[in-house]
This record gives sequence, C-alpha cells and structure tokens, in this order.
Amino acid sequence: MTNLTGKHNTKLALVVDDSAMQCKVLSVLLKEEGYRVFSANDGARGVKMYIKYKPDLVLMDINMPIMNGYEAARKIKSLSTGTSLCPLIFITSMDTDQAFIESIEAGGDGILVRPFSPEVFKAKIKSIQRISDLYQQVKTLQQEQQQDAELAEKLMSDVIESRNYALDKIGIVKKAAELFSGDIQLSALCPNGDVNILLGDFTGHGLRSSIGAIPLAETFRVMTKKGFTLLEVIGQVNQQLYDLLPPDLFLGAAFVTISSHDESAYIFNAGLPDVYVFSKQGDIKNQIESCHPPMGVLPYLLPDTKLTILPIKITDRVILISDGIVEARNEQGEMYEFERFEQAAKLGVISGSVSNTVLNSVNDFCMGMPQEDDISLIDIPCDGWEQTFVVSNTTDNIAEEHLNDSDDEQNSAWRWRLALTGPRLSSVNPIPMAMSQINEFEGNAEHWQSLYTILTELFVNALDHGVLALSSDLKSSHEGFAEYYKEREVRLKTLDSGFVEIRLSSHPFPQGGRIKICIQDSGQGFDLKAHYRKRAEKSDAIMLSGRGIELVEQLCESLAFKDNGTLVEASYVWTT
Amino acid sequence: MTVKKVIAENSRNVSIEIEGRFDFSLHQQFREAYSSCNDSGTQFSLELSKATYMDSSALGMILLLKDHAEKVGGDVLINRPSEGVNKILEIAQFHRLMTIKV
Repeated sequence: MTNLTGKHNTKLALVVDDSAMQCKVLSVLLKEEGYRVFSANDGARGVKMYIKYKPDLVLMDINMPIMNGYEAARKIKSLSTGTSLCPLIFITSMDTDQAFIESIEAGGDGILVRPFSPEVFKAKIKSIQRISDLYQQVKTLQQEQQQDAELAEKLMSDVIESRNYALDKIGIVKKAAELFSGDIQLSALCPNGDVNILLGDFTGHGLRSSIGAIPLAETFRVMTKKGFTLLEVIGQVNQQLYDLLPPDLFLGAAFVTISSHDESAYIFNAGLPDVYVFSKQGDIKNQIESCHPPMGVLPYLLPDTKLTILPIKITDRVILISDGIVEARNEQGEMYEFERFEQAAKLGVISGSVSNTVLNSVNDFCMGMPQEDDISLIDIPCDGWEQTFVVSNTTDNIAEEHLNDSDDEQNSAWRWRLALTGPRLSSVNPIPMAMSQINEFEGNAEHWQSLYTILTELFVNALDHGVLALSSDLKSSHEGFAEYYKEREVRLKTLDSGFVEIRLSSHPFPQGGRIKICIQDSGQGFDLKAHYRKRAEKSDAIMLSGRGIELVEQLCESLAFKDNGTLVEASYVWTT
Repeated sequence: MTVKKVIAENSRNVSIEIEGRFDFSLHQQFREAYSSCNDSGTQFSLELSKATYMDSSALGMILLLKDHAEKVGGDVLINRPSEGVNKILEIAQFHRLMTIKV
C-alpha cells in the first residue's frame, strides 16, 4: 500500500532568511508543528541546502544578499518538477501588491506578511501542507493509473495483434493518438485458405473506445476459423457490438476476404473511408464506399446488405484506411485529404512499400503537429494466399487396402445427413454445421481444411448451378462476373422451392479413414460431357470459373457426377 | 465552437445549432441542450450548416439524441449539413437512420 500522506515521517523544512534571529523564531514555530528544520542565510545557500535535503516545505525571505528570494524560488521550483510538490512560502515585511504578485510569479505557493501571530503562521503552514498532501495523492494515483493502463494496453495488444494471421505479408500501419487505440486491425485464415481482414475504428479514442476490441477480435477469429461466410461474420459482429456497447459507441469497419483460388475480393464497408483496389501500376481499379451504418448502431444488418464482389488479379493490392489519415491536419489547419493519400499510395504500390510511403507522406504533411486521431492503414497483397494442400499419394496404398470396407454405407462409423429446402437455402450455411460434426466425431486436425474446401465448393456448385440454375459461362468476363452475383442474389431472395441434401459417412481404417460425401440437388442437371469438353478448350489464363471443381478434384480420392449432374459423390481420404 | 438552442413556443420544436467543430468537447453542452426537453412528440432539428467539422464522437452524440427523441415519441431531423459534415454523415450512412435535409 502506498502511503499517500507521508504522515509517519518527520517532515523537513528549510528556512532561508539573512536574519539569524528570524531563522530562529520560524524554526521554533516549525518544530512545534513537528518539523525538523534546516536554515540558510542567503538565496544561493538556500538552493544548495534544498538540493541536499529535499525538504517538504520552504520558507523564503525576499531581500537577501548574494541571491534574493525570487531568484532562489525560481531555481528551487525548476528543480522540483519531479513527483513531489515542495510548497514554498515567502515571508516578508513588504506589504505591497507588487511583492505579492512577484512572489507568486517566482513560483511561490503563498505569502505571509509580517507581523503575524504564531497561530496565524501555524494555520498557514497547515493549509499549505494540506494542498501539498493532496497534490502528492493525485500524483500517486495518476502514476498507478498510468502503470495499470500500460499493463492493460500490453495485454490487449498481445491478445489482439500478436494473434493476427500473416503479419509478414500484410502491411499494417497503426499510430495511436493515445495509449489505447480506437483503431483495430485483424486478420484471420479461413479453412479454405482465404484470408479475412478487418480494419475497425471505434468511436473516439483512449480506453473507452477499446473496450469492444477483445470480444470483436474473438468473434472475428472464431467465426472465420469455423468457416462462416464473411456476411455471417459481419452480421454477428454487428449484433454483438449492438448488445455490448452503449448507444454512442460504435465501430466503423471495413471487411475484406481475399480468395486466391476464386480470384475474387469480397468487400464490405460500414462507415470507413473508401476501400481501394490498386493495380500493379498504381492505378485505382475500384473504390468501395461505405454502404451501411457502422457496426453496433442497429440491432440487425439492413435487409439489403450485400458484399461487393470483385474479380482481382494476383498483382492487385487492396488498401484500407481509417479517417485519421485523411483528416490529419498541419499547422495551418489543412487536412491531408484523399488526393494526397491516393498519390502517396500510388507511389507506394509502385515502389512496393505502401505503408511506409503513406506514413512518411502524412508525417511530412503534418510537420510535427500533435496527432488528433488514430492513424491506421492495411495494405493487402492479392497473391500468396493459395493454400498448400497436402495431396498425399503415399496414402493411396493404405486406402486401397481398405477400399472394400467402405463400399457399404452400413459399415460406416457414423453417418450425417442434412437437407435444406426452399428459403432455408438462402439463410442457412450448412458447411460450418457439417465441419463442427466432423470435428466432434473425428477430433480437430489441420487437414480438415481440405475437406472444408471440398464441401464448400460442392455445396455452392449444387446451389448455384443446380437449384438456382445459374450458368457459370456468365463468369467468363469481368462484366458478367458482377452480373452473375447480382443475379444470384435476386434468385436466392425469391427462392421458394428446391433442395440441397448433404450426406456424409465416415469409414475409418487403422491409420486414417475415408469420408464419403454425397450432395444431391433438385436442379435440372447438366450435360457432363459438354461441360468437360468446354473446360478443356478454355485457356487457363482467363478462366474465372471452374477453378473450384478443379481444386476439389485435386483434393479428393475420387469425384464423380451422377444422375445427369444432380448428384455428386466424392471421397476424401486421410491418414494419421 | 458553440451549441445554440431555440425552443419554439409550443415547446414541441427544439432546434439545436452547432457552430464550428462538432466534436467530443461539446459533449456536455450538447446533452444539456436536449435532456430537459421531455414533452411527448418533440421534434428535434439539428442545424449543421455552420458546423465545419464532425468526428465520430459527434455521430455518437447524434445517436444519443435520437434515442432521447424516440423515448419521448419524437423525432430527429438533421438540417442543411455543410459539405464536409455531410460527407461524414454519408460515410456513416446516417440517412438510413434519420432524415437529413440537405
């Protein structure tokens, strides 16, 4: 426990007066008040004694040889800027306004004009000591608070930032205006190798604005890891922040999924400045503006909420910024603004260091003006997110030996089946459910991400091309790409019939096992032969579709379309 | 930086005008401007034509005003926001939450 008043120690007083007689009188009075007393007969000696004894109180005459009281007071006050306030009282017989004003200006905390009675003197000492104790108390509390805040900040950034994914690839600028930043940057890996990124800006800054950061980071990571879609993550984040935060506290946020195998970016901007997509040459390909109130303002996402889906090249970069950058001000009060940002970002893209270039440009512009708001930027490259799937040929023999075991569905260790019909198909994502079943039955393992990819691709295939009867030909051009997703949304919204059924069965063998996947849909099916022929003709370079199935083929032991393409059977083998 | 409040004679129309920077420093004043207006059906109109800048705390303050207005069965209208302020309202998509008269 810190001693806030210091009462148990004998306090030290320093009396500085050129009259030995006066020193004696004041010393006696101070001793009666419990002080130990030292004295000096001129200002210069007074300062020396102050440095030597660090007293709790100084009494100072004004007119003295060598160094007068004002000068000595200034020196002493300049030395006592540390943690303790040493009150200094001038004792004088100069009863003028001028003396009073100069005393206070020299740093005095009070003045006593002779003659005074011993009672008045003691009362003055008590009152000044009370102020000094209070100052000490405030100072101590402030230090404790600062230490607590630093500890909390360290824990918080450990929890939040150190657990971000691929920090070596994603460029992050984070410059907090205060100890606690209201800005938050998150990245997490999806089970299929896509990467989810969030840049958020909580209202205000400081501790108050960072209370939502930990639950936000948890939700974002857990849901991404479990394979929920970006829109589902956004919906949950919004609801959670609405429930947790007071009404005037919310989160402006941009969410991005970069999908390498899909060569698409999924972007959602709720209350942040435009999200940028830059080409390799530093040209702005897309700007995605805010389309929704910030997270935590409304209990549910607005009904027409949708992601912007863009085709991307692997050389593109997606850049997210908070308003702290464009609103940074210089001495003249001008703002940095978007134009300067865009120029700096272009140079940064070309030179390959977006974060440094933009940060330097902002710093040059502000020229040392104090920072008013948190500054953040996230620079995301669009390549390097391909997942390194383990396609294990060595396991073939083991799997082969146990081929017959799994022929019969009756021999399975477990079976799981889910059929979604009509409107449920647009509102429920069955993949996280399936994955959580598998995790429960078979335990958690890295390689399930391959199975996740297989399930996702096959389910989306059944839904899009089967139930919704969308032609993947649409996706072969960049315009059609957008058209495809628009049409998909329209059809999903009005969907009132149809089904997709997922059946899983597990067939373990000693060093691993086989999961059989059957997905059936209510669609019209397709001409399998024509489909394969068309795919063979297309050059790889401009294929915006069909990559999904290709990927699934690599990951599966076998993959077969049946019943005119309305049924797909896949089997996935793993070894331990 | 000032907050001006005008209450119409019927006391159901309260106009709050912000001049200069609309940020956290106005928190107390802004709250005081509406917290005592509890007549049912009070229409609060927030005049922002002279506001030069608005930060996210100000957006939060507007949401608190909206909460208050809804509690007394009234409404909030944002009137003639200046260009810079309107940009911030647009980014936050506040027109989806309340009426903004440009």
